Amino acid sequence: MESNPKVRVNHLTKKFGDLLVLDDISFDIPEGELLCVVGPTGCGKTTFLNSLTKLYDITSGEILVNNEPVNLKKQNLAYIFQENSTMPWLNVEQNVSFGLDIKKVPEKEKKERVEEFLDIVGLTPFRKYYPSQLSSSMLQRVAIARAFATKPELLLMDEPYGQLDIELRFKLEDELVKLWQKTKTTVFFITHNIEEAVYLGQKIMILTNKPTKVKKVLDNPLPRPRDITSPDFIDLRNQVTDLIKWW
Amino acid sequence: MIKSQKEKIQRVLAGLFSIGAFLALWQWAVVSTTLGQLMPGPITVITSFIQAFSVPIGTCTIQQHVGWSLSRVMIAYLVAAVVGIGLGVLMGWNPKIEAIFKPLYDIIRPIPPIAWIPLSIVWFGLGEMTKYFLIFLSAFSNITLNAYEGAKSVDPVLMGASRMLGANRTQTLLTVVLPASMPFIFAGLQVAISTSWATVVAAEMVRSTEGVGWVIVSAQDTNDMNQTLVGILAIGIVGFILATIMRGVETRLCKWNKSE
Ligand SMILES: Nc1ncnc2c1ncn2[C@@H]1O[C@H](COP(=O)(O)OP(=O)(O)OP(=O)(O)O)[C@@H](O)[C@H]1O
Ligand SMILES: [Mg+2]
Repeated sequence: MESNPKVRVNHLTKKFGDLLVLDDISFDIPEGELLCVVGPTGCGKTTFLNSLTKLYDITSGEILVNNEPVNLKKQNLAYIFQENSTMPWLNVEQNVSFGLDIKKVPEKEKKERVEEFLDIVGLTPFRKYYPSQLSSSMLQRVAIARAFATKPELLLMDEPYGQLDIELRFKLEDELVKLWQKTKTTVFFITHNIEEAVYLGQKIMILTNKPTKVKKVLDNPLPRPRDITSPDFIDLRNQVTDLIKWW
Repeated sequence: MIKSQKEKIQRVLAGLFSIGAFLALWQWAVVSTTLGQLMPGPITVITSFIQAFSVPIGTCTIQQHVGWSLSRVMIAYLVAAVVGIGLGVLMGWNPKIEAIFKPLYDIIRPIPPIAWIPLSIVWFGLGEMTKYFLIFLSAFSNITLNAYEGAKSVDPVLMGASRMLGANRTQTLLTVVLPASMPFIFAGLQVAISTSWATVVAAEMVRSTEGVGWVIVSAQDTNDMNQTLVGILAIGIVGFILATIMRGVETRLCKWNKSE
């Protein structure tokens, strides 16, 4: 175990009534890591994030961020939901600035960051558009820019690209890698798309079926930009696929 | 929805046509049937209406009467808007506040403002306060109900998103719940401006010395059909203008809500 992890999960157990979902899970996420998490449907991936962000109470164990209990007002976390979570009454640039307004970032810095992240996700020409005028991939980019603009120390993503078609997904995956490399943010990325996990992850965590434990954490040393048709890629993908099989 | 210029003009023309046809029918009925013995025709009424701008009805010209009524509406309506939006949004957002205030509100809501007239006279006398109170009640109930529904229907994902970005409860209320409820709130404000305008007429008919409601009652006392119709015309025109202004404000402030 690392001495100073970004996130430390210690004997985390989560039950819903009698249903044991997370079963004594422990792992660390080092600072700056891009961790992809794959696991069977209903194994408790969303439950884990909801426990981390205190939407759910933990049954036993603890989750620490910077060696401290989670405090959303103090620690700078960002959560990108699977569904569209942009504010329909704000235009694109106001949406990107939303988190900065909440955090009372000084005006000048706010402007600069909004410009920067609008540019990175390629939405500068659409800055005055309202969400009702945008496609779902553009909406997800707004949510990503909004999250990154707050310079989160920890970015939580719950199948953020699940509903997008392949081409857009590839594009946004590349964008995410770019942003991650640029900002050194620690990223916790949930997906049930194995290819996506291998494409993005610096490490890949594989979960078991309920009651859920960590089955294995794989290193992913493939160089970037990754080629999904290369033999090494396919090899690793098959390895993950074998691990995730529960039959 | 972007309407073409041509469509807009067509709509206005269609409206003007139906109004013109109505006036023509009225004029014809007054001239050619026994209706003429009961009430004046549109030409007489419109002429009197225009004259009323310079020749007072009672102590005030027609625009002064309208001014009186409007000022009563505005004062009571503004108070109702502040209280109604505040109470409605808070009830929709916070289950505790809802549990305390909603039952009381639900009992008061179905009572028509007119039913409060005797009580409010006892409480506030025959002065301005009674009028404010009645108008307040008529606006308040619609505004509150809509604000409440709006706050109830806020997408929880949006509240979650703001919480994750570090918003505290007050910030979530002000930056998510309130703006998300705006289309509902405006629908309520829209209905309320019409009901308040209707209520001021009723309130002024109880007891007043000026205002459009007074124009109507005093005409009733003297059996002056022409003055009654001048009053009705003024009420109709002002009501129409108020509704149009509100719709304009809504279109501006809630333009995000209109899907293209
Ligand atoms: N609020 C809740 N109350 C009761 N049971 C719950 C609740 N939330 C989740 N569960 C149960 O916990 C288990 C894990 O659910 P969760 O949504 O975390 O799975 P997941 O891994 O995110 O699944 P998916 O791949 O479908 O997103 C499921 O069996 C689910 O029924
Ligand atoms: Mg899930």
